[in-house]
Amino acid sequence: MSADMFHLGWFGSFIPTTWTTGWDGTDAARWMDGKFYVDKVRTLERACFDFILFEDSSMVSDVYGGSSEATLKRGGWAPKGDPVALAPILARATERIGISVTMSTSFYPPWMLARSVATLDHMSRGRIGWNIVTSSEDLAAKNFGMDALPPHDERYARADEFVDLVTQLWDSWDADALVMDRERGVYVDHTKVRPIDFVGKYYKSRGPLNTLRPPQGRPVLTQAGGSPAGRQFASRYADMVMALPKGVPAMKEYRDDIRMRVAAEGRDPDRTKVMFVVSPILGETHQHALDRKAAKDEAVRQHPEGQLIGWSGSMEIDFSRFDLDKPLPDDVQTNGHQSTLANFRKWANGRTLREACVAYRTESMELIGTPDEVAAQMDEAMQEVGGDGFLIWNQPHNRRYIGEIADGLVPALQKRGLMRTGYGHEHFRDNLLEF
Amino acid sequence: MLHLGWFLSFQVQSWNQMWSGEGGREWNKPQLYIDAARSLERAGFDYMMFEDGSFVPDSYGGNHDWWLKAARSVPKQDPLPLIPILGEHTKNIGFFATVTTSFHPPFMAARSAATIDHLTDGRFGLNLVTSHNHRTAQNFGHDALFDHDERYRMADEWIDLVRKLWDSWDADAVVLDEERGMFADGSKVHPVDFEGEFYRSRGPLNTTRPPQGRPALCQAGGSNAGRAFGAKNVDTIIAQVNGVEDMKAYRDEVSEHMIAAGRDPKECKVLFIVTPVLGETDAEAQDRAERGRLAMAGAVESNLASLSYATGEDFAKYDLDAPFPDIETNATQSSLALFKKLAAGKTLREFVTSDTRKSVDLVGTPDTVAGQMDEIMQEVGGDGFLISGSLHRRYVSEIADGLGAALRRRGLARDGYAGSTLRENLLEF
Ligand SMILES: Cc1cc2nc3c(=O)[nH]c(=O)nc-3n(C[C@H](O)[C@H](O)[C@H](O)COP(=O)(O)O)c2cc1C
Ligand SMILES: Cc1cc2nc3c(=O)[nH]c(=O)nc-3n(C[C@H](O)[C@H](O)[C@H](O)COP(=O)(O)O)c2cc1C
Repeated sequence: MSADMFHLGWFGSFIPTTWTTGWDGTDAARWMDGKFYVDKVRTLERACFDFILFEDSSMVSDVYGGSSEATLKRGGWAPKGDPVALAPILARATERIGISVTMSTSFYPPWMLARSVATLDHMSRGRIGWNIVTSSEDLAAKNFGMDALPPHDERYARADEFVDLVTQLWDSWDADALVMDRERGVYVDHTKVRPIDFVGKYYKSRGPLNTLRPPQGRPVLTQAGGSPAGRQFASRYADMVMALPKGVPAMKEYRDDIRMRVAAEGRDPDRTKVMFVVSPILGETHQHALDRKAAKDEAVRQHPEGQLIGWSGSMEIDFSRFDLDKPLPDDVQTNGHQSTLANFRKWANGRTLREACVAYRTESMELIGTPDEVAAQMDEAMQEVGGDGFLIWNQPHNRRYIGEIADGLVPALQKRGLMRTGYGHEHFRDNLLEF
Repeated sequence: MLHLGWFLSFQVQSWNQMWSGEGGREWNKPQLYIDAARSLERAGFDYMMFEDGSFVPDSYGGNHDWWLKAARSVPKQDPLPLIPILGEHTKNIGFFATVTTSFHPPFMAARSAATIDHLTDGRFGLNLVTSHNHRTAQNFGHDALFDHDERYRMADEWIDLVRKLWDSWDADAVVLDEERGMFADGSKVHPVDFEGEFYRSRGPLNTTRPPQGRPALCQAGGSNAGRAFGAKNVDTIIAQVNGVEDMKAYRDEVSEHMIAAGRDPKECKVLFIVTPVLGETDAEAQDRAERGRLAMAGAVESNLASLSYATGEDFAKYDLDAPFPDIETNATQSSLALFKKLAAGKTLREFVTSDTRKSVDLVGTPDTVAGQMDEIMQEVGGDGFLISGSLHRRYVSEIADGLGAALRRRGLARDGYAGSTLRENLLEF
C-alpha cells in the first residue's frame, strides 16, 4: 500500500544563495538580478512542484547582540528583496507552476494589496498566491512608522477584516463584466461593477477595484500561523496551510485540527491543504547521507550563531546574552511569534542552546537517505498523517540542492506514483485541488 | 540630441479601432509592452513612463458607466509588477512607474523600488504623484483627499524619507568576504530614525543599496507646489504645455527653480508630450491628421469626460453652448488653469471640439516631423519629447522605425546607449 498522491511546494526567500559552501557559483553576488530565481522556478516546474512560495519580512534585525552586525555578516535574513517584484519575472518564465508571495496585513493598505495581487494574477494567467501574514516583529512595525505591532490576537482580528475587504474588492467586478462588444462600443458592462462601501472596525474602502476580476476570482490564499487565533483565521480563508509541527503524530494532529476547524466554518476540508515543512538530506548511499548530516551538525556545533541570529530575529529575544552550554532561561518572553517560542521550549526540552542549535531543524520530520529511501519515508508519513504534502525548505540554498531535489527525489516520488508528472490545470488553485 | 520617452498606462490601449489587433484582450498581459519596449529601445528611447491611478472614474455623468463602457482609464492595472518583466526583455531602455506619495507607505515604496532597480540593473524610476481624485482617497479609507498644498508637503517629506532609506546601505556594505565569513558589513548599514510631521520610520532598508544609488525620479505636477517639488527632487519632468512659447517658458522656469534649489538645470530633463501624425507623404499625413481632428471633434462625450477626469468636475451638467464654466478644483490645478486659458472666448462645445491636447502639432513624413522637432527644441532649449499615442504595434513601429530612424539620421537621436542605467542615459547629453 502507498499513500495517495501528494503535493510538493518550495518554501524560501528572495535572499542571497549560500556563498561559503564551495558549491556556490557566483549567485551570491548577483542574486538581486533575479536570474538565479528564474532558473530555480523553471527547474521546479520541470519537477512538477505545485508552487514556489516566498516568505518575507521588512527589517534588518538587530536583536542578536544588540546590533545588526551579526545578521548582516552572515546574510540570509537580510538583505532580502521584495518578492512581489520578483514574482512577475518568475511567472513569465513558466507556464503552470504557482507563485505565492508573502504580504503583511499589518503594513499593506488593503486596496494596494488587492490591486497588486489582481494584477499579478492576470499577468501569470491565474497562478498567483498570497501568503497572508500579520508580521511578528516590532522592528518591522517601526519601519512603517508605528511604535510596535498591535497585540497578537488583535493582529488576527485586523487580518480577518483585511481579507474580507480585499476579497470584496476582487468580487467588485463580476466574472462576466468584460463584454468587449465592438458594435456597441462597450468594453465593460457597468452594471457588473459595484462600489463595496466597506466600513469596518479597522478599515474603510469605497471601491470598486479599478481592474478586472482576477482570473482565479480569488488568488490562492495561504497561511502559516499556528496559534489558536492563527488556525481559526486559516480555517476561514486558507487554501493551503503551511505547518511546522514536530513529528508525525503532531503532524496528524495539526492537520486533523485544521480540517475540523474548516468543516466547522462550513467549508469543505478537502479544499484546505495542510503542507509540512521539510528539508531532506540526500546522499548517494544511506551512509553518505548520514555523513552529510553529521558534517552539517558539526559545523553548527562549531558556529551556532547562524541559528541563534535566526531565533533572535523571529522571537525578538537576544540569544547572544545566554550561555551557549546551558538551556534557555525560563523567564524569557516575547510579543512576536508566541507559538514559535512555546514550541521552541517544548521541543528544546532541556537541551543546551548549542545542542539545540545542532538539533534544530526548520522541518516537521527528518528525511534522510538516498532519494528512494526518502521517497519511502515521505510515503509512510503521508499514510499516517492523511495528506496533503510537503514544503521543501532550501537548506542549503543553492543550485546543487535544488537539483538534488528536482532530479533525484522527485523522480523517485514519481516512480512510486506519489507525485504528479504533469499539471492538469492552468490555475494554481485548480492544481492544488486536483487531488 | 533629444531625449525621448513614451507615455502610457497599464490599461486597455486600443480595442475597437482599425489597427487594434487583439488589444482588448492582451492589454493586461506583458507581451504587448515587451514588444513596444524592444522597439523603443531599438530607437534609442530613454524611457517608458507608466502613469497610474487607483480609482474607477465616475466624475463624468455622475457614475462610472461611461468609463467602463469606453474602457477609459479603467480597467487599469498596477504597473509595478510589469516593469521587472520589461527589464528582462531589454538591456538599456529605462522604465518609470507611478506611485502616489499620498497613499503608498514610504518603506514599502523604497523597498519595492530598490528591488526593481536591482532586477532591471539600474533602469528603474518612480514617477511621483500626489493623487488628484477623491475616489482614490476613499479607496484607501479616507473621506477625501488631503488639501492640494498639504499633499505636496507630504510628498516632500515622503521622498526625503525614501531617499534616506535608499541611502541606509553604503555602496560598499556588501563585501562578500569568504575568509572572514562576512557577507555585509554591519558598520555600513544605518538606521534612519526618521521622525517627520507625516511619516516615521526606523530603517534601515532590508535590502541592499539600489544600483543607481537612488532610482531615477520623475514628476508631472504643474502647480507652483508641484514644480517646486520637481525642481528639488527629480531627474525628469513630463509636461503637457501648449505651444513653443509656453514650452520655453516652462523649461526656463524649471531651470530657475532648480538653481534656486541648488541644482544644475542640466540634471533634470523636461520632456513634452506630443502625438506625432506620420504619413508616406506630408499630404497624406495632413489627411490623416484631419481625419483625426474630425473624429475628435465628433467625440464630444469623450472630450467632456477627459475634462471631468482632469478636474473631478462633472462636465455632463454644463450647457455646451455657454462659455467654459468658471470653477475651482482641489484636483489638478494646473490642468484646469490650462483649460481655462485655452477656452477663453469659446463656448464649452467649441472648446471640446477643438484639438487642444498636444504641446505642438507634429504632422508629416518622418523626416518632416524630425525637422519640426529639431526646430522646436532649438527654440525651447531642451530636452525632448514624450510620445503619447495608441500603443498598438503599427503606431509603435511608425515612431520607432520611421520617426526614430529619421531622428537618428539627423543626429538627433542616440545611436546606441552610452550609459547602462536610466540616470546615466538621461545625463548622457
Ligand atoms: C512555514 C512558515 C512560514 C512563515 N512565513 C512567514 C513569513 O513569510 N513572514 C512572516 O512575517 N511570518 C511568517 N511565518 C510566521 C507565521 O505567519 C506566524 O506569525 C507564526 O507562525 C506564529 O504563529 P501565530 O501568528 O499564529 O502566533 C511563517 C511561519 C511558518 C511556520
Ligand atoms: C504628463 C502628465 C502625466 C501625469 N501622470 C499622472 C499619473 O500617472 N497619476 C496621477 O495621479 N497623476 C498624474 N498626473 C497629474 C499630476 O501628477 C498632477 O497632479 C497634475 O499635473 C496637477 O499638478 P499639480 O498637482 O501640481 O496641481 C500627470 C500629469 C501630467 C501632465
